[in-house]
Amino acid sequence: MIEAIIFVLLAALTLVPALLVVTAKNVFHSALWLVLSLTGVAGLYAMLAADFLFAVQLLVYVGGIMVLLLFVVLLSGKPSDWAARQVNEKSWAAAIFALFLTTALGTVIHDWSVSAIASDPVPTTGMLGSLLFKEMLLPFEVVSLVLLVSLIGAVFFSVRKSS
Amino acid sequence: MIGLKHFLLLSVVLFAIGVYGVLARRNVLGILMSVELLFNAVGINFVAFNRYLHPEAVWGQGVALFVIALAAAEAVVGLALVLTVYRETKTVLVERLNLLKG
Repeated sequence: MIEAIIFVLLAALTLVPALLVVTAKNVFHSALWLVLSLTGVAGLYAMLAADFLFAVQLLVYVGGIMVLLLFVVLLSGKPSDWAARQVNEKSWAAAIFALFLTTALGTVIHDWSVSAIASDPVPTTGMLGSLLFKEMLLPFEVVSLVLLVSLIGAVFFSVRKSS
Repeated sequence: MIGLKHFLLLSVVLFAIGVYGVLARRNVLGILMSVELLFNAVGINFVAFNRYLHPEAVWGQGVALFVIALAAAEAVVGLALVLTVYRETKTVLVERLNLLKG
């Protein structure tokens, strides 16, 4: 019972701010709502017994990516953009498509007969560490290369031409 | 009792919200935020399947970690591009970004 209450609260904390992210008029408010939505996702990770992912979600997403996004929101855009209409003329079609997607995938999931029983949660940090440095070693190293390339790419794109 | 299906339905709704944002927003920053919502919906799916179907291993959580790392790389490059495009064209609205149009 208490599990259901916590799930409903976390789902509301995730979905209501997510809706506000895509509908808010001011893009800065969108970014702030996104912070709340990502925090809700972190709570869902904790509920799914993924303690390490909970911490990573808060550190990397809420602490890193969102601060970067807020900086860029403040550095780009004029005040006149903030008052402009935020959705295009075909937004009704996008809404219909999103509703169709929800109904279709929801029906599939609802009719799916799966017997899934959750076992007792165990700490996952040690298991994740041995997974990353044994079975997933090659992808792990490739990701470090990707991060280096994206760093160089960001510097390359944002350096000002001195002409 | 909260089961696998509840988490899957939640992630479907979050994914649909993100798809609507990608298709409907005019602001390129709003589109990038909606992409982050998509990444998170997929991450919830991975961790939920891991928890309920294969609780003896943590492969799903490992993949979710990679999703977060690659989302960080995507955000860094994407936001640098947005800043550069804004310096050149003085706009963040996607329908004005038609420099390649003949």
